[in-house]
Amino acid sequence: MSMENIRNFCIIAHIDHGKSTLADRLLEATGTLDKRQMQAQVLDSMDLERERGITIKSHAIRMNYKTPEGKSYVFNLVDTPGHVDFSYEVSRSLAAAEGALLLVDAAQGVEAQTISTLYQAIDNDLIIIPVINKIDLPSAEVDSVKHQIMELIGCEEEEIVLASAKNGIGIEEILQAIVERVPPPMGDPNAPLQALIFDSQFDSYRGVISLVKVFNGEIQDGDGITFMITDRDYEVEEVGNLLLKRVRTKKISTGEVGYLICGAKNVRDIKVGDTVTHTKKPAPKPLPGYRQVKPMVFAGIYPVDTQDFENLRVSLEKLVLNDSSLIYEPETSSALGFGFRCGFLGLLHMEIVQERLEREFDQTIIVTTPNVVYKVTTTDGEMHFVDNPSKMPEPGVQEKVEEPLIDAHIITPPEYIGNIMKLTNDKRGILKNTSYIDPSRADLHYHLPLAEVVFDFFDRLKSVTRGYASLDYEFHGYMESKMVKLDIFINGEVLDALSVIVHKEKAYEHGRMICQKLRKLIPRQMFEVVIQAGIGSKIIARESVKALRKNVLAKCYGGDITRKRKLLEKQKEGKKRMKQVGRVEIPQEAFLAVLSADD
Amino acid sequence: MNPDGGLYIHVPFCHTKCEYCDFYSITLLDQIEDFVEALLREIELRAADFREVTFTTVFFGGGTPSLLSAAQLRRIWEALQANFRIDPQGEFSIESNPGTLDLPKLQAFREAGFNRLSMGVQSFNPQELKFLGRIHSVAEVYNSFENARMAGFSNINIDLMTAFPGITRETFRHSLEAALALESEHISCYTLIFEPGTVFYKRMLRGELSPLGEDEEALYYELAAEVLAKHGYRQYEISNFARGDHVCRHNLIYWKHRPYLGLGPSAHSFWQNTRFGNKRSLSAYVRHLKKGELAEDFRETLSQDDLMFEYIFLSLRLREGLDLEDFHSRFGQPLHTRHQAAIERLLADNLIELTDHHLRLSRSGWMVADAVAEYF
Repeated sequence: MSMENIRNFCIIAHIDHGKSTLADRLLEATGTLDKRQMQAQVLDSMDLERERGITIKSHAIRMNYKTPEGKSYVFNLVDTPGHVDFSYEVSRSLAAAEGALLLVDAAQGVEAQTISTLYQAIDNDLIIIPVINKIDLPSAEVDSVKHQIMELIGCEEEEIVLASAKNGIGIEEILQAIVERVPPPMGDPNAPLQALIFDSQFDSYRGVISLVKVFNGEIQDGDGITFMITDRDYEVEEVGNLLLKRVRTKKISTGEVGYLICGAKNVRDIKVGDTVTHTKKPAPKPLPGYRQVKPMVFAGIYPVDTQDFENLRVSLEKLVLNDSSLIYEPETSSALGFGFRCGFLGLLHMEIVQERLEREFDQTIIVTTPNVVYKVTTTDGEMHFVDNPSKMPEPGVQEKVEEPLIDAHIITPPEYIGNIMKLTNDKRGILKNTSYIDPSRADLHYHLPLAEVVFDFFDRLKSVTRGYASLDYEFHGYMESKMVKLDIFINGEVLDALSVIVHKEKAYEHGRMICQKLRKLIPRQMFEVVIQAGIGSKIIARESVKALRKNVLAKCYGGDITRKRKLLEKQKEGKKRMKQVGRVEIPQEAFLAVLSADD
Repeated sequence: MNPDGGLYIHVPFCHTKCEYCDFYSITLLDQIEDFVEALLREIELRAADFREVTFTTVFFGGGTPSLLSAAQLRRIWEALQANFRIDPQGEFSIESNPGTLDLPKLQAFREAGFNRLSMGVQSFNPQELKFLGRIHSVAEVYNSFENARMAGFSNINIDLMTAFPGITRETFRHSLEAALALESEHISCYTLIFEPGTVFYKRMLRGELSPLGEDEEALYYELAAEVLAKHGYRQYEISNFARGDHVCRHNLIYWKHRPYLGLGPSAHSFWQNTRFGNKRSLSAYVRHLKKGELAEDFRETLSQDDLMFEYIFLSLRLREGLDLEDFHSRFGQPLHTRHQAAIERLLADNLIELTDHHLRLSRSGWMVADAVAEYF
């Protein structure tokens, strides 16, 4: 297949706008899959992905398309994750494509997640094909959505394809638009090999299977290859195309997307964004865009039953085979026993790890309040990296505390600037600059403490801008700050798992909020439960959960004792899932109570 | 030795469905005759398995058993007598709706053999009766009660409902006092529970009704216990109060883990460590029995652990509590063997009391019986 006939593209869409359904339709229309093989939403292969409608891992699938005029094309659909936590992975997947379908729900219109990925695509010089989906919904507002898209990317009305993936409308037009508008890949087949790794997965039989896009040269079975960033050498075991399954082709040529197996046993050995070249005839330099991904958010993960620590360790070992961004090391908590301190890319990543541990590995766990890494200088002149509130030196010996700062760009229609200012002010943000991309889009450049962003910034930003603002950020540096450690006491015992490091001025409010939330989340017990928040030995907030007053079904059950027994057994089960701290039973949700500031 | 047991007959008919009630009943009264026919078949089919049991209680519940005609009741009784061994000194109860009773009917109940009448009064306040969807009036309660005495019922229960939306201390006190003035032998006092599937539950989900919450419920409950105790009613079970020795012997069979046989749609049985129940559908019940087969919905044989747990939580509901010797002889081990830690903890928290022969809830444990049971 000549490069002229290759089209590499991705689909940019908000959750629920129909990305997976459209992908399924394209696979069907190109005969890649027949109806029998269709399992709804082929691309999202993890249960979690299907359920949440979020793509977590990148995928790629190859299709053969014959135009009505009889010309044959190869399409590679590169599916990208869709969340700011994974923005680096997104940028690498986008780099593997030359075009993007911008899919917008006719009833919902353009949403924030779409915009931030769209800008990344435009930055990567992708050609955008706008598609309005679900045009046959009664609530569709095709004209207004057309208008939004035209404003957003400055296209002509005729360029927008109208479709309903669910009912097969517009599929042929989309296929033709891909042929006509997405440019073929560029690159020099005779130049030294440069292939981009845009994701890796672990297979228990084959080891690491990487997704690659060949930019220059070609890669074949048996080639000696070098990963240019990590400087590791391997021999190619197998390369090929990704259809529904892997199809071995022995060679991937310039411009093509495929998979690579080279005997690596751990996804950590192969970094997303690295460049593969031939060991004997290396390219002069790697492809641009590589970044070392570092965890931004840390939290403790503990088994609810302390006896399950070993199981949890084994589960984490298996989980990281397929998740190179997660790091973990053992730690202990006086309230929760043995567990692990884990580092995540962001809050969504943390939630995903938690859910995978619970669902794929059947672990019952508690995740503690997430925090960032502080730099604390003590009076003896030593510097400490504090990734866990329990490691915070006592206030008396602190010389200074520094917290991580991010460079954030918020892109928004100007009418929401007031709301955003209010929010960023509340989040201790410093406005550095305001510029206008065009009259309808302002770019607000902020310095924000990362700790404030990991709490609930993204959700609140979306809500105050009705989903129109997008956020992108990168690490900026450390800044001295007045941070204090806030402890939570339950019936006088400190619950170290709930300790947080907060800004001094926010400590009171935060302590009050946590106490109030815990009061709602801790069920009434046989005795009164007192919840306190304190800095050092000074108590700044107090709430209490009254003792159980009545817990008996005063009902005539007749002879249906089975039902009564099952009800009691269910309650007993519920109790088992709670964590016993002193004599108090605390539900798992309580440990997440501090995550979201409102409600 | 012949084991003693109880016999329950579920009569699944009501004039109208009360919006809070989740017992199985329907309003298609023209199917009563089909039901009676099917019930007679079930009696015959069950007879062989229960030949050695002496039934010391028979309880007609529902639904509204008082909707059955005198002739229908007679036929059922004859079949029961013909097929089962029934203790002539037994307790024979029938539940009734005060709006469906008159003197001839009550006399017919007596003639059929019933010696205990249970009246679903619920409240003595007209607005509350309307709210609960009851068809009877306060005047009918008084008339029916008087007629029941006249017909010769010397053991009468009054059901009262409490802790429902709209009730006040005053209205509840009024209901309690009105019930006391009638001097019934027994009073049952239930709190409203929003059961899934009922109209009240849907109304709760829609936000039209809200439960009073445990603090309020507790106050009503304690008010009932206090007022009734003052008038000589002994709270022998969480929801049940009796004068003298007029406890409900049938319900005690449930709480004391004795065997019972339930007949009719949705009725449950407990026999030889097995619990089973009939289908909760009159049409399915009738269909099966027409074919000469039982209409069972489920059957589960309880493990030793299940049996122990049931025994514990059921007997804790009784004022006298759990009989330690009986437990030991039933399960071949003392209660302490398995539950030493729970017992110590509950004693330390003053939730239970331990006497030479019994373990029972303390005053403060009484209101949190379910939470106490969860320790076992």
